[in-house]
Amino acid sequence: MTRIASPHQPLPNLDARMAEKFLYHEARLLDEKNWKEWDALFTQDGTYWMPASADQPDPLNYVSLVYENKLLRAVRIERFDNENAHSLQPMPRSVHLVSNVMIDAYDDQTGACIVSSRFVVFEYRRDEQRIYGGDYVHDLIFDGVSFKISQKRVNLVNCESALDNINIYL
Amino acid sequence: MSHTQTIDIDSLLHKDGVHRRVYTDPDIFDLEMDRLWHRTWIYVGHESQVKNPGDYFATTIGRQPVILVRHKDGAIHVLYNRCAHKGAELVGDTSGCVKAFRCGYHGWRFDTDGTLLTIPLEDGYKNTGFCRGNPDVNVQKVPRYASYRGFVFASLSPQGPDLKTWLGGVASSIDNMVERAPEGELEITGGVLRYVHDSNWKFFVENLNDLMHPMVTHQSSSQTARIVARRLMAKDDQVPWAVEIFSPFSNKYSFFEEMGLHAFAHGHSYSGGKISIHSAYSDIPGYVEALEEAYGTDKTLEIFSENRHNTVFYPSATIKGPIQTMRVVKPLAVDKTLIESWTFRLKGAPEAMTQRSILYCTLINSSANLVGPDDYEVYHRLQQGLQAEGADWVSMHRHMGEETVSADGTIEAEGTNDIVFRNQFKAWKHYMTAEGG
Repeated sequence: MTRIASPHQPLPNLDARMAEKFLYHEARLLDEKNWKEWDALFTQDGTYWMPASADQPDPLNYVSLVYENKLLRAVRIERFDNENAHSLQPMPRSVHLVSNVMIDAYDDQTGACIVSSRFVVFEYRRDEQRIYGGDYVHDLIFDGVSFKISQKRVNLVNCESALDNINIYL
Repeated sequence: MSHTQTIDIDSLLHKDGVHRRVYTDPDIFDLEMDRLWHRTWIYVGHESQVKNPGDYFATTIGRQPVILVRHKDGAIHVLYNRCAHKGAELVGDTSGCVKAFRCGYHGWRFDTDGTLLTIPLEDGYKNTGFCRGNPDVNVQKVPRYASYRGFVFASLSPQGPDLKTWLGGVASSIDNMVERAPEGELEITGGVLRYVHDSNWKFFVENLNDLMHPMVTHQSSSQTARIVARRLMAKDDQVPWAVEIFSPFSNKYSFFEEMGLHAFAHGHSYSGGKISIHSAYSDIPGYVEALEEAYGTDKTLEIFSENRHNTVFYPSATIKGPIQTMRVVKPLAVDKTLIESWTFRLKGAPEAMTQRSILYCTLINSSANLVGPDDYEVYHRLQQGLQAEGADWVSMHRHMGEETVSADGTIEAEGTNDIVFRNQFKAWKHYMTAEGG
């Protein structure tokens, strides 16, 4: 995979705007609670990872805030509709803002690319609004038409701080 | 605190119930800090967090900032995190390694056992007595600290039972967790999860061995995990660790009754024993073999014959021996509590054992997991519900009087007995009313 040195560097077969639109689409699916369609954006072994410390080397030997494969995402998504999930009553609402989208690396043979961006998420539940900020690192596979997520890494700017419930996907 | 002196502790406790004020009244919280948290043994940290001379770990005991530190002679000390000069905290971050502590205000330097080393322009203190050699001008050690098999506790009271006596029978939970390591030693690993709750600390500490709640509170996550696993897994697939971890939370009532409870002096308890929600995890290749090689077959069987769920070292710490995790309780206000979760590596065990413990911590103890938030929500509703004046008393009636007491004072009961709460409040009352520690 080639590191992309400059945002102005032309990439074969890949327009940076396409990656940007994909991230907007992904964020919108989350805000619209369209979790099944969101989950379908991942590759079969794709993972959603929110580390518990900055620069955390891996999710297997260090605790994470969230580390979910297909099975665990399915559990969480199905639990969103479970009437006994007390912490989701009332159900939170969210707004995801994605910005500063850059393609950091790209391999035009395999379509693998690394896209970094910044985010702000507003979560509202029961009279309280919470604001999360940080950066995303999306490991994507580009097939010439669209993308699949092989890993979405959510780096909360305050991931080490004492956090209360985070009930939504950031 | 004079306004707290008028609280009549006796009037807040019945043998089968507790007054809602103990969870909601800020004056009672203040008194708890002074009389319980600043007197009894409080967990500070694990020796493996300060392996080398100069390593320190800054934490709190109740409201007071302290430093766990390894001195150059290898001894471990617990110091107040306060410069002997003007009182600024000596270290501002959580952990690190120093040759000496240097205060960031006026540059006073102290050795890692607290001894004053240097003062800038020391001449200015001549004839004042406020100088090197005066023990009052060292960083002060907390009155008592001790380690039990690597677990360091401290007491801010010079009086009271020693750590081993205070632990009593519940020390066997630490023994069992340590013995699960083929090399007989534990090591903190994999970072910490810090989860803050908007509720009183006692809700958390009581809930750990409340075996009437998992099948209700955790129904949504546990049952969903079972259903999704059936749908996504092929017949011959090995059950993933995550499903093994989630599933037992929705076991039947009879399972939790059978788990049983043990309660001890000073408010300690554990649930489980012969079985627990951790006893049906799959074998990890090489682990049993490593234990058998270290201890022999009989001792290995004996170690596995104890499978405890939560052990509570009242009021500040709780461990899960069979999955090697620990949660540390830090009350911040009457309605605010920080829970820190740690993971242990069993020295000499396959790395997969640690990775399963790490996964457990992530799945059950993180702020964004699927199990903890439903506990959090219940504690929140308790904190709100107990504002209601319609009924002042919170029940601890269940199976009252049906427990048995053995010759050494250990209390045994079936898993759904409220004895754990009655036993915690007995210790609570002792500390809240006694003159000494």
